[in-house]
Amino acid sequence: MPVTEARRASLIPGPRRQFPAKDYIDPAPLPKSIPHVDEIGVTSAPLKTASFFIGEHCKDYNEDFMLCKAESRDPEHCLKEGRKVTRCAQDLITKVRTTCLKEFDAHWECLERNNQEFFLCRKPETAFNSCIFEKLKLSKTIPGSPAGKPQIHEKSWPIYGAIQK
Amino acid sequence: MSRGGFEAIKYKRNLPTRGPGGALIFGGVFAVCAFGFWRVGLGNLEKRELQRERAWSRIHLVPLLLAESDRDVYRREQAALAREREIMKDVPGWEVGVKAYHSKRYTPSTIVVI
Repeated sequence: MPVTEARRASLIPGPRRQFPAKDYIDPAPLPKSIPHVDEIGVTSAPLKTASFFIGEHCKDYNEDFMLCKAESRDPEHCLKEGRKVTRCAQDLITKVRTTCLKEFDAHWECLERNNQEFFLCRKPETAFNSCIFEKLKLSKTIPGSPAGKPQIHEKSWPIYGAIQK
Repeated sequence: MSRGGFEAIKYKRNLPTRGPGGALIFGGVFAVCAFGFWRVGLGNLEKRELQRERAWSRIHLVPLLLAESDRDVYRREQAALAREREIMKDVPGWEVGVKAYHSKRYTPSTIVVI
């Protein structure tokens, strides 16, 4: 594969910022020795909707992975834990889609329309959270919130909200 | 006969004290401002909680995203090493993938071949 020459650096400030015409694509596959795992393939809005439930369902695998990363940032070092993390998240997404598909879709589509902000989509979120709690026994908790007060997503009359209802 | 003539002309000052008075006006302004600042404080606390929610949403997703990116980076690095091996296979004494640093720590590559 030929190496292209360095192009004229762009006028946008930054260390050697360039915008080459070709995409950063490398068709080479993973080495055969690595077990295959399907990539999660979920876009940002559905991932954000499911984020707290992924965090609860896959807590052990996530912690294992981050501890492994703390030992070494080498990608090769943590491939195994990474596969476990991806499989766990896939499992949860599948469970969510089989049990609460309508509420899930409603919430992430609301996020798509509202700049991925949670506070603008509380109504679909409450519906989704109650469906998940009923069917999968997972609940959304935000660690570090002040004790004794309701969590921000359960607050009765929030100050911040959509301008137009 | 009727009285005739006109009423006496009022020339003396007539400034009756009426209305809320200075203390009450300033007190009212102070009260409104105090209420406003209390609401600002509540709003800031809520903003902090929203920020916390946003942060935790990202934190829960980081391992998933890192794992995916790891696989991608590993694949690209292995492909780059394979290319290097192929290109330099006839050069005697060439070690493939030798790092530029003496440190054992992993250093990501800063060069990308397009």
